[in-house]
Amino acid sequence: MDSSGDEALDIIITNVVATFRTRCHLNLRTIALEGTNVIYKPEDGKVLMKLRKPKITASIWSSGKIICTGATSEDEAKLGARRLARCLQKLGFKVNFSAFKVVNVLAVCSMPFAVHLIDFTKNNRPIASYEPELHPAAMYRIKTLKATVQVFSTGSLTVTGPNVQNVAAAVEHIYPLLFECQKPKPLCK
Amino acid sequence: MTSLAGLSCPGCGSSNIVDDDLYSQAQLVCADCGFVVSEGVLADEPVRGLDISYSRTTAVTKRPCVNLIRGLERVKEISRILRLRGEVEDLALTYFKQAYEHESFIRVSLQRKEVLAGCCVLVSCRQLNWPITVGTVGCLLNADPTLVGGVYQEMLKVLNVEAPTVNITDVIEAHCQEYKISSSDVPEEFAEESKDLTKRAVALVELAADSWIVTGRRPLPIMMAAVYLAWQSLKPLKHRLSFSLDKFCQLAKVQKHKPAVTRITELKEALCKLGKEIPWVGESVTPGNVVQQVGDILEHRYALLRRALRTHEDAMQAECRSSSVNPPSEEMVSSQISERVAQTASSVEQLPLSNEGGKQAVEEHSQEFEPNWGKRVLFAPPCVSHAKRRRVEQPTPDVTGDEEISDSEIDSYIRSPREVREFSQTQKILASSSGGKSQ
Repeated sequence: MDSSGDEALDIIITNVVATFRTRCHLNLRTIALEGTNVIYKPEDGKVLMKLRKPKITASIWSSGKIICTGATSEDEAKLGARRLARCLQKLGFKVNFSAFKVVNVLAVCSMPFAVHLIDFTKNNRPIASYEPELHPAAMYRIKTLKATVQVFSTGSLTVTGPNVQNVAAAVEHIYPLLFECQKPKPLCK
Repeated sequence: MTSLAGLSCPGCGSSNIVDDDLYSQAQLVCADCGFVVSEGVLADEPVRGLDISYSRTTAVTKRPCVNLIRGLERVKEISRILRLRGEVEDLALTYFKQAYEHESFIRVSLQRKEVLAGCCVLVSCRQLNWPITVGTVGCLLNADPTLVGGVYQEMLKVLNVEAPTVNITDVIEAHCQEYKISSSDVPEEFAEESKDLTKRAVALVELAADSWIVTGRRPLPIMMAAVYLAWQSLKPLKHRLSFSLDKFCQLAKVQKHKPAVTRITELKEALCKLGKEIPWVGESVTPGNVVQQVGDILEHRYALLRRALRTHEDAMQAECRSSSVNPPSEEMVSSQISERVAQTASSVEQLPLSNEGGKQAVEEHSQEFEPNWGKRVLFAPPCVSHAKRRRVEQPTPDVTGDEEISDSEIDSYIRSPREVREFSQTQKILASSSGGKSQ
């Protein structure tokens, strides 16, 4: 999915996290026994189930709440969740697929130029913060979109947001700010 | 007052004995004649302190918390070690008092409170233009820099303040002073005056900043690399050139940082790019022999930079003309040679890529250009010029999310009844055998 035709930047979605509910109690022991690709974690009170296609890992709790991670698009996440629900149905639980919601989307993007992080932080204080001794990237939080962008000096970005649209909007939002920080600012001395 | 059954007063014989504590000392007294039947022993008071925690007693209002006082003393101590101005110390004390009372810091471990003291000093130094690094604070507190970083970020949130980022050129002077290589510490052939060393190291760091070596990296290894190269180049004779970074650090009595070795290589590469443009050097400039030229390079830095940019651009244009251009996309190389001395980035290029459809995978066009933009410019962040090869993602077929899910697909995730039986039997066997072994 690209953000906008004019910028022609490739935004690659690497992870989509979604949750849904089965509206029924799930017996974790049964799932661990009768399901393949299942890891039982009694100390956390959950079961990890991995699907092959789409490549998704799901954490299943006995309350019926399930979190799916590893999908590369919102639709894939939905498909994986439905597949999981069907699987649980076949195992004998009265599953009612409901409250599906994409909770977090992680994407990476690469600018065709390097970014001078100190100038970027100076121009965008206090929304941007940069501590070179702690982390090599500058962090930019967009409150309105509830998105966080990590900007690396090589021009790579990692964006996290509540859905794919917000992530794309965040990249569009931050692009002009990065564009003007390509060259190091001239020394004022 | 409570009546206690089963006791009789030795004085008057009545059974009306009550609990009447006097000044918090337990006493059993006869209500009729006033005879004290028994007294609690003061020695029964809790020895190891009150049963009630300090924060719930009234002592809080009468006497400030001991750890708060200790923390304030620590702030003063750190300020004195760093020889900070009075106003910096006062600001740090104010911040500490403010942050200490906040719920995120009032009930944490003593180590965290000590780190908080250091962080208050750090933020007030930054705000009042007295730059110190997080590493310095970590050293003073003898704490892990990651812990210091975490407490620092939390403290900034709690106090709702900002601090300007530390510029590496400001910190390097203080850093150079740590190196013990003045003529009183080491033999004459290795000695350097701190002044000269600092001046050259600052010039090297500025060059590093312009060639993308500094952005995004930890400052300390870069400073170490700059000081080492500065020291070598001030007297580039054989005995200095043969000194490795390890030996130099031992000589100067500082702790070596491993990333400094990579920074030295990167700095030498950048110096070579400029060194190639020196008109009076006949032989080719390599990282092996560039140290001798460092003095000249730094002196004529800007002129050499302009020449290097021009050479690079001519080379790029020649390449464009001779190579065949890909039909679907066009390349425009527009160059801007800046007359202003300080602008150092090289040619700006626009690549209007044509983008087809809604593929999520990396497109072939961008795959070609992506790793190359780093090679097109004279100076680029090292991670871009030596880019890692990315795994080519297989484009996933269009998924809608509402497709039909076949039964056979789901069955592949469920064990057959026979498998279930075998699995549970194996589990029982394993459990019993491990139980037997553990006995």
